[in-house]
Amino acid sequence: MSDQTCCEEFGRLDRRTVLRAGALAGTTTMVGSAVVTTRPASAASADSVLVVLSLRGAADGLSLVVPYADPVLRAARPGIHVPESELLATDGFFGLHPALDPLLPTWRAGRMAAIHAAGMLVPNRSHFAAMEEVEDAAPGSGTRSGWLNRLVGDLPGGSPLQGFSLGEGVLPISLGGPEPVFASGSVDNVGLLGEKQGKFRRERERSLSMLWNRDRTVLGDAMRQAMAAVDDFQPAQQQSSRVGTYPSSDLGRALADVARVVRGDVGVEVVTVDQGNWDMHVNVGNLSGGRMVKQAADLAQALAAFLDDVRAFRDEVTVVVLSEFGRRVKQNTNRGLDHGHGSVMLVLGAGVRGGYYASWPGLENTEDADLAVTTDYRQVLAEVVHRRFPAAAVSSVFPGLVYDPVGFMRG
Amino acid sequence: MPTDRARATRVLGASDLHLVERFSYGITPRLAGQVRRAGGAAAWFAAQLEPARGADPADDYSLWWPYLAKSPDELWEASRAKEMGGGEVMADLQNFVLLRRIHSERQVLEVMTEVWENHFNVPVREDKVFTWRRDYGDVVRAHALGTFRGLLRALEVHPAMLLFLDAAVNDRDKPNENLGRELLELHTVGIGEHDEDDVKAAARVLTGWYVDPRTFAASYETARHWTGPLSVVDWSHDNADPDGRAVTDSLLDHLARHPATARRVCRMLAVKFVSDTPSDALVESLAAVYLAEDTAIVPVLQHLVASDEFAAARGAKVRDPAADLVATYRAVRPRFSRPPSGTSGRRHAANMLNYQSSTMGSAPGAWPQPDGQPIDNASWASPARMIASLRMHWYVANGYFPSKGIRYRTPQQWLPAKRVRFDDLVDHMSRELLGRKADKRLVRACAKACKITRPSERIHRRHALVKWHFGRLTSTILDTPEHFTR
Repeated sequence: MSDQTCCEEFGRLDRRTVLRAGALAGTTTMVGSAVVTTRPASAASADSVLVVLSLRGAADGLSLVVPYADPVLRAARPGIHVPESELLATDGFFGLHPALDPLLPTWRAGRMAAIHAAGMLVPNRSHFAAMEEVEDAAPGSGTRSGWLNRLVGDLPGGSPLQGFSLGEGVLPISLGGPEPVFASGSVDNVGLLGEKQGKFRRERERSLSMLWNRDRTVLGDAMRQAMAAVDDFQPAQQQSSRVGTYPSSDLGRALADVARVVRGDVGVEVVTVDQGNWDMHVNVGNLSGGRMVKQAADLAQALAAFLDDVRAFRDEVTVVVLSEFGRRVKQNTNRGLDHGHGSVMLVLGAGVRGGYYASWPGLENTEDADLAVTTDYRQVLAEVVHRRFPAAAVSSVFPGLVYDPVGFMRG
Repeated sequence: MPTDRARATRVLGASDLHLVERFSYGITPRLAGQVRRAGGAAAWFAAQLEPARGADPADDYSLWWPYLAKSPDELWEASRAKEMGGGEVMADLQNFVLLRRIHSERQVLEVMTEVWENHFNVPVREDKVFTWRRDYGDVVRAHALGTFRGLLRALEVHPAMLLFLDAAVNDRDKPNENLGRELLELHTVGIGEHDEDDVKAAARVLTGWYVDPRTFAASYETARHWTGPLSVVDWSHDNADPDGRAVTDSLLDHLARHPATARRVCRMLAVKFVSDTPSDALVESLAAVYLAEDTAIVPVLQHLVASDEFAAARGAKVRDPAADLVATYRAVRPRFSRPPSGTSGRRHAANMLNYQSSTMGSAPGAWPQPDGQPIDNASWASPARMIASLRMHWYVANGYFPSKGIRYRTPQQWLPAKRVRFDDLVDHMSRELLGRKADKRLVRACAKACKITRPSERIHRRHALVKWHFGRLTSTILDTPEHFTR
């Protein structure tokens, strides 16, 4: 099907882009179906940069990192399972989907970990409710902030830059909360005017201040943050884009901009990016076609290009890849997969001790069987926070969590 | 030399302006005149709520995009033949919808159509949805001032909804749960009122509705309907007849009349039209009207605007970026011309509306999830959104972009008299663009932006402000908190 539009920017608003719950705090930015949000915590350069890539729509972990030695999988997915002979980096039990091939050098270098059967302890099959819970990550605490917002709040610095926004759309819940954050659809769009206005720029800034300085609403806050952030963000804009080395996709374009923010070294410590399109109720497909192979290839190519793009910061940048929940074990009648529970989390880059990590629950081939969750996803995130951001307290980022690290990060 | 005397543009009183701003895409001198002639905002509102009124001239803008008139199978064929892609048709639709919002004389109908399209969101970018998406919008519009029950019946099994939520080609014995889940979670009773068994049963109720994957013809197929007793929340049915359409109607009617739906829908309306934090008492009283009037929408809206809470909520709602774009064009009042077909028309203003809107973060039908885009203030108050809006105001105020297929009013046309004091000019422009008088803060901000040191300075046709910098004045007025809210 031809799906060309007259302007490529709006041909990119793809299905299953960003799943959002109803009431959110803050705002963001979209690069087509990918969303980039950054939070510069201080103007000084950052020791650690955490990139959180959310696979929106509930990604099937059993396809990405395949537990091929579990005998149930082949029987439950006659049309869509990936045969053992095609898998990469097999260890006798797990193997990577062949489309993840671009990440193989990272895997071989011991800089990529896969933590399987991870997720929320209590299943929730609603995209919206699950997303809210996953990103709030403080069950029962009644907090109104996301875990990344709490992380940022815990870190020293607190730049005069109260927030930064790389695009359009709505902030992910993980970043929402009392700490101001910034978001933008594109690095280049950060400026008070569409063009250089020379001397008039000062007049415009003064005039806007007069209009807004007494406005105490969320709009007034946003306007003041915008004006403060514009100047401090310039080093990122001066970084050239290497988008040509990325796949031509929303995620590729988004990560190419994230790399500029990292290379610009403007003090951003937390970045969130979304990849849409994982809600595969129909046509998961197999290696010769269908949605999974295409989607997994986009993910792997974009991530590999990103890691290469920021290689000068290889000791700073850690990437976490997660999804709001996984999918059922058994395929449905549309060669698709309905909403399930456990999935896989990937962690790549700085501080990672590579390999497969799982307490495998075993699969069942019944109508509604899920991949059971044996690792609380918060333990995975907490381990990254603990190892990469020593200044932050796990207990305040994840209230109520009894920290019990998996061991995939180096101490 | 004294300033020439010009008749000041008349503005509405504050409470009339509040009602009109909340239920339109932006005040204009023309709309203010209509409100005055109707006898005030309340009378204008009552007249706007009458569902059976004549055609709106703005409807004819659809003729600018010929593919909008094509049937689902024609659109599918055009797409297969690479003659016209589905994404292009959807961009046409979004451009049309924005242009209609700018020019419509039935502003309340436009606003309510958007409200329900968002509540029953079917993203335009969804695969194959383009075949039925224009019709979907028309159906929403036909029911927008009717009953919620009518909306639910018409939309839940509309081909566009079936295609979007994986129910167009369903398996009788193991139906896809997507539509059943969103029916309960998003469209009616909401989270907390149902469990997973209810989702499965609702999915079964909805089996039989069918969209042919080759012709896109919609039909009901009894052979595809699952039969047998079913229960959903507090509804049950023996569901013995292979023709399950009556069972669908029964479930949808039940859910539409459910008190949990009443509260959920009325809370949404209160957040949209009153404030982000409506009181429980207001929501309960709206829900009571909703139930007493058998889900009729107009009585609920009338009750809402008559409440003290509504009266106290002036300026309390943020315009999302798409609404900002429409309000900006309504304020600046350029003349759009019909774009030529083919590539030569691609950069014409009417074909740029959706692009402008999307790059600021929202556009009609663009929200990619079934929950619809957020309607609270905080979601649309980010630094990035502010930057994007300032940029759009600047481009449009100066006539920089779009520049093809559009004729902007000239500075000379805006001048109310041959010679006018600067502060009077600001007041005039504020009345024209914002429908209200200028306060001292606005005069000072405009003077700063325009580098005018004395408010009494005389402005005339050959003044530098008029010759070179008028866009600074216009954009400053568009950058005010008043223009960012409704």
